[in-house]
Amino acid sequence: MHASVEQPHGDQEAQPLLVVRDLQAYYRTSHAGVRRGIRAVDGVSFTVRRGEIYGLAGESSSGKTTLIKSIAGAIKPPLEIVGGSMEFAFLSGYGGLHRAARAELERIRWRHLSYIMQGSMNVLNPVRRVRSSFVDFAYPHIGGSLKQFEQLVVAHLARVKLDPSVLTAFPHELSGGMRQRAALALATICRPGFIIADEPTTALDVVVQKEVLGMIRGIQRETGSSVLFVTHDMGVHAHITDRLAIMYAGRLVEEAATAEIFRNPLHPYTKNLISSLPRIGEDAPRAGLAGAPPNLADPPSGCRFHPRCPLASEICCREVPVMREASSGHRVACFAVNGGDGA
Amino acid sequence: MNDLLLDVMEVSKTFARGRLLSREKIVAVNKVSMQLAAGQPEILAIIGESGSGKTTLARMILNMETPTSGRLVLDGTDLAAMGGNAARLAFMHKVQPIFQNPFESFNPLKRVERYLLMTRLRFTGAAGESTAAVAVDAALHKVGLSLKEVGGRYPHELSGGQLQRVAIARALLAEPKLIVADEPVSMIDASLRMSIVNLFRTLRDELGISIIYVTHDLATAYYISDRIMIMQKGSVVESGDARTVLKAPRHPYTRQLREAVLLPEVASAPAIVTPNMNGLSPGAPERRA
Repeated sequence: MHASVEQPHGDQEAQPLLVVRDLQAYYRTSHAGVRRGIRAVDGVSFTVRRGEIYGLAGESSSGKTTLIKSIAGAIKPPLEIVGGSMEFAFLSGYGGLHRAARAELERIRWRHLSYIMQGSMNVLNPVRRVRSSFVDFAYPHIGGSLKQFEQLVVAHLARVKLDPSVLTAFPHELSGGMRQRAALALATICRPGFIIADEPTTALDVVVQKEVLGMIRGIQRETGSSVLFVTHDMGVHAHITDRLAIMYAGRLVEEAATAEIFRNPLHPYTKNLISSLPRIGEDAPRAGLAGAPPNLADPPSGCRFHPRCPLASEICCREVPVMREASSGHRVACFAVNGGDGA
Repeated sequence: MNDLLLDVMEVSKTFARGRLLSREKIVAVNKVSMQLAAGQPEILAIIGESGSGKTTLARMILNMETPTSGRLVLDGTDLAAMGGNAARLAFMHKVQPIFQNPFESFNPLKRVERYLLMTRLRFTGAAGESTAAVAVDAALHKVGLSLKEVGGRYPHELSGGQLQRVAIARALLAEPKLIVADEPVSMIDASLRMSIVNLFRTLRDELGISIIYVTHDLATAYYISDRIMIMQKGSVVESGDARTVLKAPRHPYTRQLREAVLLPEVASAPAIVTPNMNGLSPGAPERRA
């Protein structure tokens, strides 16, 4: 699991695309001499393998947005990387994009790392036609003649069932679904190794959502890209991700193959998350969790879930459970599941 | 007529768009009729995608939007004929709204308990603040909170789930007969969502309040509603008993919606890998504007 600093032409197949080790990203503010720290990501470790869709689930303020901001290198004060590292296969030795030089970032963005966001208006330039966005972002990486490039774009747009006429449109002239598909085409045209998808279908209607998810899956299978897929919607995770990590209050609490998480959730939080989902055709009452997610400026001691946990015991208030393998490939951070002192 | 709590008769709403010479009419709601019986509390879900007119319909029921044609009668009062403050107050006594984002429904600079007290004072007139505080505490208890917990707090100090409960408590202070909730749980975290949804059921069963639940989420609609109404492009395409409609949808659009629901089961996953992209769908290339 541990990838040493890689050679660019080494044995790339075996090594993971992204290794995040013990990442700590805090928001640090200081008001009138009073220092406050929001520990939004606190000791997160995981690995994204080549060619997989790695899902990240968590509710608002669980730190998932901070986590992907850190991975994407979009770190601005008051956000700070306090500890840990993020090693990409295509950028070895830096410990994260935030440490890379500007020229290095320009080489990487879109070519090796791209994004699909919830509001694709933020990716497509609102005052320029869609064609310009493709030329601005992707052309420098692909090169060749502009005419060849345009042919490539048209062929790629066909993969997401978009007509070449969208190239002459402004983003606001497209419907939400079309815009999201255009953003998907833009994010994948350079066949990047790694794509960060942040709630890419949350703003879409259900019928369009299913279609766009199918396209993301199809293109990912074709290009062999790795995707870090973030959404709070467990239904979406069940349909698109290969492996799934559950985040709660700044930490990962469970990680396994998606099917395993749904079939055999181990952490009490994951269990409730899955059992509380209403399903059409089932009439049994569903209960939500008591309490509320903690304030990360002042998180509970020990396991951050313990105030809401039905299985909490004395040790949970004192010590932080570590992620341990409960069965092959299934990691969970819970004293009640792992037993022992969690050391 | 008296035995209807809400009677919506052939209501339409059109919006005009564009410039003077290139004016374009958009029919947001097209001749929709629906009834809610008095004395028979129920949860009615209005389901549709964005642009289906479900929110416009809800806003007309709340008298926040005037229909272009058709009539709305609430508990014997025609909404179009309603005039004056007293009539408006009486109307708000009967119908209360709950909106999608509780952080937008509360003024961030005001303590939440002020909202609750002012609402109570407004509806019960002269009764003093101490009696109002008792009523506020009682309403908060109905939603699983207490004045002790929320007293002195500003909206940003509460979680979305807590604040949405406060919004429901605020609505309860008017002792309404009908609550119109527009996407009340779509902004709420998954672990808190079900407790809000369950709360609607308690309101119906214990307080006898009818609820119009506007949503795009078929699964929660199936879970709590008695009746559902499916809207597409301003018209009602299918309506009836929630279980019957969602288990065996008849209209092709309902079926399409039903099939697009992503079940939280991995077993059904292969369905998405090869989606039928040739079929009709609202996302098909179609330029807006």
